[in-house]
Amino acid sequence: MGIELLAQVAINALMLSSMYILMALGFALLLSIMGVLNFAHSVIYMSGGYICYQLAVVFGINQWLSLVLAALIVGAFGLFLERFCFRPFFGDPDRTIVMALALIVIVESAVNILVGSYVRSLPSFAPGVLRWGGVSLSVERLVTFIIGTLLMMMLIFFIRKSKMGQQMLAVSQESVGAVLQGINIYRVSAVATVIACALAAVAGSLMGAIANLNPYIGDQMLVKAIEVVILAGIGSIGGVLGAGLILGTIDSFLPLLLSGSATDAVGLGIVILILLFRPQGLFGHEA
Amino acid sequence: MNTKSKLKKTAGLAGLVVLLFLLPLFIKRPYYVHIFITTLISIIVVSSLRTIALSGQVSVGHAAFMGIGAYFSGVVSKELALTPWLTIPLGGLAAMIVAVFMGYPFVRVRAIYFSMVSLFGGIMIVNIIRVAQKWTGAAGLAGIPPLSPINIPGLMNITFLGQKVPYYYFTLLLTLVCLAFLYRIEHCRVGMIWKGIAQSHMVASTVGINEAGFRVLALAVGCFFAGIAGAWYAHYNLVVTPPAFGFLPSIFLVMYMLVGGRHRFSGPIVGTAILVMVPELFRGLKEYAPLILGGIMVIVVFLMPQGIAGLFDQMKAKYGEVRNRKVPGNAV
Repeated sequence: MGIELLAQVAINALMLSSMYILMALGFALLLSIMGVLNFAHSVIYMSGGYICYQLAVVFGINQWLSLVLAALIVGAFGLFLERFCFRPFFGDPDRTIVMALALIVIVESAVNILVGSYVRSLPSFAPGVLRWGGVSLSVERLVTFIIGTLLMMMLIFFIRKSKMGQQMLAVSQESVGAVLQGINIYRVSAVATVIACALAAVAGSLMGAIANLNPYIGDQMLVKAIEVVILAGIGSIGGVLGAGLILGTIDSFLPLLLSGSATDAVGLGIVILILLFRPQGLFGHEA
Repeated sequence: MNTKSKLKKTAGLAGLVVLLFLLPLFIKRPYYVHIFITTLISIIVVSSLRTIALSGQVSVGHAAFMGIGAYFSGVVSKELALTPWLTIPLGGLAAMIVAVFMGYPFVRVRAIYFSMVSLFGGIMIVNIIRVAQKWTGAAGLAGIPPLSPINIPGLMNITFLGQKVPYYYFTLLLTLVCLAFLYRIEHCRVGMIWKGIAQSHMVASTVGINEAGFRVLALAVGCFFAGIAGAWYAHYNLVVTPPAFGFLPSIFLVMYMLVGGRHRFSGPIVGTAILVMVPELFRGLKEYAPLILGGIMVIVVFLMPQGIAGLFDQMKAKYGEVRNRKVPGNAV
């Protein structure tokens, strides 16, 4: 294996990990704070990419600005999501799951109707190749990784240091106790949903430039996000980083050895094996 | 329940079955018959999913077991030239064996972790099917033989190739038999034990129930019927592709079960029938048709907390109360 290939695979692993972590952090927030298994995270990711495409390519807005706008729009949608889709069914997982699935059906068909199901692609956010010694790296992947890491660090900082973040932690650990302490659980949920949706939209836009856009791109990313969250252990925000790094590395190194579907099969096999030996996840506490 | 209402219920069921048997007389368009056949097959799968869910484990990879049945039966009958009547039960057995081998390690994980591990397991199975291209074909398995003709001289001669109506009758029979089995299992001792485990696995263990064994049993039973339904689908459709058994189909099975209501046996049947057939009525709307599906789901989620099949209970609870209030002397 040449050093060049190794470097490219490594940057790929970091980029994939950071995107997985962005998705997984949102999913984990919703799961631990509201107990919502948000399968609709896939369509949120997808619609983030499409909104960015619409703003940047069709309306001709600066691409970085449209990335921010997409995150804001989808974040605002998160507000609606929490108020009208999750709050009425608080503490009833069956109904929230059906609601999330209904969202998948509705948003996917809406995208099909509005823009059609053929494949599109966002233009590259940062075109060009970085040459350094004998190694050439794609600037875009590097930038994606840096953005992902920055957002991830901001979120962790927000959760650890701000009052709202501490309230989130409290609710996720013991929601009844948190309510008794005077924490507004609905406001916490709303903030968490907005953050989760905005992060998914950013991930969707960035990945939309690297891979392609179609109405079904979210499914695979959703499975990856769930893998990361379960592997980390539900309720462990810090564990998501470690699990995301593991999964991203597996997903970018395995294709060197195996082809196509075998990669997915082996990757999932590794995840299942880890879970069988540590049912509570790598970094989880509760059994 | 008194005998009178039981009689009424039985009569209603019998009437429904007779109606279903007479259906091909009224519906001539092959496409509509096709919809009924696929709905019946889905009903078997969703009901078997509910059987697993009885024991407190919601499998989110159930379509993959359907896939195992479909591919096993398809490949065996194609390569070895066996009659599908033999390979369909074998397909069910194959799905069951895989379920048992996967189920034993999976009993270590519970509730949501089980759901997620089964989700990964399902996707893994589909990927393994994709990898085994030599037998299963690159894009999908084509050229699966249809059900072999039944020829009893002087009595009947049924051919299946290109015919919808014989398929319809046999699918209906298969569905009724499978549902009868699942109903019996649920209402016998084993079913009670499953429900006990679902309520509290700790208590179940302390009274001497082998929790692991019964949970694997639930998986085995559920996946057996899913495998049979998948194999049947393969010999009906004659082409099977991996995406038909992947992530989204698995989630849709769970959705049919939840929308129908998982607390009643009729839930999966009602849910599947409505969610598959109503969007077909609006097929003329083309890409808008899925919106109807989404609309039904939203209505169900807001108005019917226990699913469509729970609506009856909901009504009874609501209006029964009113009646009692009107006649205070009637109180127990």
